[in-house]
Amino acid sequence: MALQTAAEIRALIARHKRWDVIFGIIGILCLAIGLLTFVTLFVDMLLDGYTRLKPEFFTEFPSRRAGQAGILSAWIGTTMVMIVTAVVAVPLGVAAGIYLEEYAPSNWMTHVIEINISNLAGVPSIVYGLLALGLFVYQFGLGQSVATAGLTLALLILPVVIVATREAIRAIPGAIREAAYALGATKWQVVQGHILPYSTGGILTGVIIGMARAIGETAPIITVGALTFIAFLPPSPVGAEFPFLSFEWLKSPFTVMPIQIFNWTSRPDPAFQANAAAAGFILVFMTLAMNGMAIWLRYRIRRNIKW
Amino acid sequence: MAEPKPALDSLPLKAHAASLNFHYGDFHALKKIDMPIYDKRVTALIGPSGCGKSTFLRCFNRMHDLYPGNRYEGEIRLHPDNVNLLDRAVDPIEVRMRLSMVFQKPNPFPKTIFENIAYGLRVRGINRRAVLEEKVEEALRGAALWNEAKDRLHEQAFNLSGGQQQRLCIARALATEPEILLFDEPTSALDPIATASIEELIAELKQKVTILIVTHNMQQAARVSDFTAYMYLGELIEYGWTDDIFIKPQNPQTEAYITGRFG
Amino acid sequence: MPHSEHLSKQYDSDLEDIRSRVLQMGGLVEAQILAAIECFGSGNYDLMAQVTDTDRRVNSYEIEIDDACAHVIAKRQPAAGDLRLIMAVSKIVTDLERTGDEAEKIARMAKNIYDRGRLQIPRSADVRHAGNLAVAMLRRVLDAMARLDAAEAERIIDEDAAIDDEFRGIVRQLVTFVMEDPRTISTVLDIVWIAKAIERIGDHAKNIAEQVIYIVHGTDVRHTVKEGHGEPDGGPQ
Repeated sequence: MALQTAAEIRALIARHKRWDVIFGIIGILCLAIGLLTFVTLFVDMLLDGYTRLKPEFFTEFPSRRAGQAGILSAWIGTTMVMIVTAVVAVPLGVAAGIYLEEYAPSNWMTHVIEINISNLAGVPSIVYGLLALGLFVYQFGLGQSVATAGLTLALLILPVVIVATREAIRAIPGAIREAAYALGATKWQVVQGHILPYSTGGILTGVIIGMARAIGETAPIITVGALTFIAFLPPSPVGAEFPFLSFEWLKSPFTVMPIQIFNWTSRPDPAFQANAAAAGFILVFMTLAMNGMAIWLRYRIRRNIKW
Repeated sequence: MAEPKPALDSLPLKAHAASLNFHYGDFHALKKIDMPIYDKRVTALIGPSGCGKSTFLRCFNRMHDLYPGNRYEGEIRLHPDNVNLLDRAVDPIEVRMRLSMVFQKPNPFPKTIFENIAYGLRVRGINRRAVLEEKVEEALRGAALWNEAKDRLHEQAFNLSGGQQQRLCIARALATEPEILLFDEPTSALDPIATASIEELIAELKQKVTILIVTHNMQQAARVSDFTAYMYLGELIEYGWTDDIFIKPQNPQTEAYITGRFG
Repeated sequence: MPHSEHLSKQYDSDLEDIRSRVLQMGGLVEAQILAAIECFGSGNYDLMAQVTDTDRRVNSYEIEIDDACAHVIAKRQPAAGDLRLIMAVSKIVTDLERTGDEAEKIARMAKNIYDRGRLQIPRSADVRHAGNLAVAMLRRVLDAMARLDAAEAERIIDEDAAIDDEFRGIVRQLVTFVMEDPRTISTVLDIVWIAKAIERIGDHAKNIAEQVIYIVHGTDVRHTVKEGHGEPDGGPQ
């Protein structure tokens, strides 16, 4: 009965397995190229900028003297812009994603919208900057403010949030959804009681990855007119007097980390290059921290969800 | 075993399908089905894959309404109030509140055991803790899961074994006191022991509730049901007492399927 | 009913095997009765031993076929026509085995008669005639089973009455015979036993015919009055 002898079969397996080894090596090499480049950059920035990584670096405004310059206005600006971005993009994106997955009728309109959303994620960010300049700065008169920048970046990451929301919702097995409907739940009851809780992990991951992208965006922010040199902070959102909360900061001019870095790198004085490297290191660190948070959150939330 | 069978017209009806046609887009999935569902009896739907038995079952709680491109014709009347479940004027949500369903694979929500069962009640706006606790216990007892679950009500449901999960799903379906319990191949993902416990449970449940069960396991249909319907290519080929279908079917197609000559 | 084949060829061949073994067993029993009647007519002692010998083979057939039925039930969970076939076969083999026992009894009684050295046997021709009727009935019922012919099975059930009549006639005549010559009582008693055995063979054939109707229509016609099996034969109701 035997088609081949045991020895032949072993020889055959050995030959076939060679490809496993070859592909494994190629894979490791590809991985190494990407990873090593990043590590090199990261370490290089750290080496260039570590002398500047002192507490004062975070508490000083930019200055003409490299040794006294800090990133206070930049990191606070970035944080504020990110808050606006998140507050705008998350509800809009999640709601849109839920609508598309759960409510939208399946017709050509929906399909056109779906395709456009995927395409939007690929639109160059400068185009968003131009859009925001026309719409937010001039049309709505929001000026060159934190609000404008936040809205711009929110637009930029909206497709990412929508797609992440839809993917997270699609990962919920149809049987779970059907189980809820079969008990007589309405669409909203299903969304509120099941869809949202079970997709939170996926949605959060998408949001954070989108934010990590937005934090490094420079082009649209320059387009809407962020200042490159700023020696004051936007008004504090929390006040000592009633009503304790103030939204004045939204209208304030600002700068962000990437612009600060860009500003320093364009100076001839090599001392500023060290500043740029240190700020770059902090920016990458912020991005990594956000990604780390995404992983941790996903793990935390997924732990209680199994199907 | 072979106690004399009562005359069919003496049995109370719980529902009946009349001239039921169902289309998935262009596909004519159910063809002019007429079938009674007797009160507090188990009716089994058997037939080869794609014969429309699950499609028929899912007409009863309007599950098809969740997906586009479906069309019902004819009626499924629910007795005693004689409402046509398929009527456009009847909200599918109302139908689903009156009929419960247990699915092919155990599909507990990723919530606690307690919350799984309470969900159907919460959907109805019942949120009082005392009421929920009472109903959850009642449902778990009804599904023969109380002894195993009473000390772990607030544990995640997925910590239960497959058979327990399916009984949890049955408890969830029972908690809302349905008029008909629909089972869609409830044991196809379970091992023989868990299957036996579900079958035992079905035998107990029929004291209280009308049951309609789709199964691809003919022996299971023979074991658990009072009536059996054999469907093929969207048609109801034969309907009758289970004993008759399995010992002396009238239709040669039924005979061929029952005896494993189908193919 | 085996109109077409199972998905499982092995199942088909298991059932076919059971069916053909029942027919072989039936053939054996039929030959056994013929031989027993022949013994009664001719007093052939060799043939008598042969009848006893055949009975052992019939018995082992019964055990084998029952075993095969149990196997099919355990492995295939037969339903509908297959289930009825298996259920009926396990009853038919019991009837056939008992028929074999009756044949053996005929041979033993014949031996008693010939041992006594009586050469004149009253009503011998009548008894042999009844015996041939019973054999014919058995042969036909086995044919009906092979062909799944329920109509023939019903005719056979009706014919059992003829053998019963023959038996009553024989007994009546033997009674007058004994009254004339009481010394013949032992022989006459043996002949009554033989006639009774033949009558029993007819009953067994009738039982088998009832099982054939069950196989074909799924209707149980046992213990029903004669009109009982005249109800619609399981046709669509």
